[in-house]
Amino acid sequence: MKIRTVRHIIKEGAINSYRNKLMSLASVMIVTATLVVFGFFLLTAYNLEDNIKVWKESPQLEAFCYDELDDAQVQKVEDSIKNNDKIVSYEKVTKEEAFQKAKEKLGSGTELLNGYGESIFPVSFIIKLKDTAYSKEVVATLEKTSGIRKVSYSQDTIDIITRISYWIKLGSSFMVTVFLIVSIFIISNTIKLTVFARRKEINIMKYIGATDWFIRWPFVVEGVIISVIGAVVAFVISTYAYNAIQVRFAQDLFIANTQLLKLAKVQEVWSQLAVYYMLIGAVVGTMGSFLSIRRYLKV
Amino acid sequence: MLRLIELKNVEKTYPNGTVALREVNLKIEKGEFVFLVGPSGSGKSTMVKLLLKEEDATEGDVYVNGYDVTSMSRQEVPYLRRSLGVVFQDFRLLPNKTVYENVAFAMVITESLPKEIRRQVPMALALVGLSRKANMYPNQLSGGEQQRVALARALVNNPALLIADEPTGNLDPETSWEIMKLLSEVNHRGTTVIVATHEKSIVDEMKKRVVAISKGLIVRDQEKGLYRDEDKNSPAYN
Repeated sequence: MKIRTVRHIIKEGAINSYRNKLMSLASVMIVTATLVVFGFFLLTAYNLEDNIKVWKESPQLEAFCYDELDDAQVQKVEDSIKNNDKIVSYEKVTKEEAFQKAKEKLGSGTELLNGYGESIFPVSFIIKLKDTAYSKEVVATLEKTSGIRKVSYSQDTIDIITRISYWIKLGSSFMVTVFLIVSIFIISNTIKLTVFARRKEINIMKYIGATDWFIRWPFVVEGVIISVIGAVVAFVISTYAYNAIQVRFAQDLFIANTQLLKLAKVQEVWSQLAVYYMLIGAVVGTMGSFLSIRRYLKV
Repeated sequence: MLRLIELKNVEKTYPNGTVALREVNLKIEKGEFVFLVGPSGSGKSTMVKLLLKEEDATEGDVYVNGYDVTSMSRQEVPYLRRSLGVVFQDFRLLPNKTVYENVAFAMVITESLPKEIRRQVPMALALVGLSRKANMYPNQLSGGEQQRVALARALVNNPALLIADEPTGNLDPETSWEIMKLLSEVNHRGTTVIVATHEKSIVDEMKKRVVAISKGLIVRDQEKGLYRDEDKNSPAYN
């Protein structure tokens, strides 16, 4: 195909979609809605994964000794941790360090600690594992070790979040699939209307020797134009909305002074979102028009 | 010998059972001017449709312009149609394109060079005498003028064969004559012309080859013929 033919085809497609304004607009809106829903799920999944990763990298386990253990007993606990081959490294938190940490955490509320010494804080060990898969086993071993009062570990939370994110992914794939199918049908319907409106013209083109694809391509272009506009609108809406939510969320978390959950900045996600939107938009548009062309454009 | 059109034992039966053509054998040489005459429903239009591969023959072979029309694939059809010009009773112009654009469109489709288009289109418009109306839209033209635009479009790619299906069916007698004179001029320039028509007076006056069809049969094929045979018993008379 020659470049001037391509130019002709694109021009015709653009004219088609403009002439068919109302249906084009409806189609753009449904594509936008689909992509915004998709974007919502995509960003939710992205942030959950992101947070899970952070949690996974953070200290896996913290084993707290009984407050009243003496140095020798602490040493025994430390030895048993050192000899566990599933533990990569560990860090000992002494009573003093624990006291300092508590002071830092409390900030202006240090007076709460007045009258208490560092002795109320237990010695603890922050343990990193070779692999998160060992965590349950190691926890069981540690809990049996004498001198250890309690083992806290984030695996439970990670498990729950992993499960939630699995369901979110599953649910969102289902919903997005439904929406995509609806969009394809709506676009295909729009193209169908254009085909009907132009069937006389199509007929004339056939008689003067236009090839099938010369007649078909403008309709494909029309479908792609519609869905790409839908994708751009969806992109603008989602990035603006996400940015607003993220900023609000960050402020709230700052006030609540917690690191538990954080949302990725819009700068981190926009490029991914743009790529997905464009791809999905192009695919939906092409499929929608092909569907119509196959069914209604008997050339 | 250059045989532009050949129909061999062609039969056409439509799916509803109507037999449109029976045992049709026809040869048209390069450079001929042929009138295809016969009453409505005689099979004239079916024959034109077979030549354009709008319909397929049920039996027999159709050759047009070097193409074996019966066995050609769908993908080849546009190339067959490009090799011939077609004019219809209802003009079939694109209403939202100007006269110039309508004619140029036939060349856009064949992916001609813009330079070629700029040269050929004015020539075709000059041939049909519409150079001054190049920028008008079809609805601003009279019927005769619209048909001339259609003719310019059919000729712009310099086809070896021009098929006109009732080209004057929607025109008054005077305008019909103008169109027929143009077709004759096109024929003098070397293009083979086939005209399916009802216009008795024109056929009688022009004294060209006449192929008469009746009830799906070729009942008469005569050089310098008339619309009706002198033989009153001819089926074409009915």
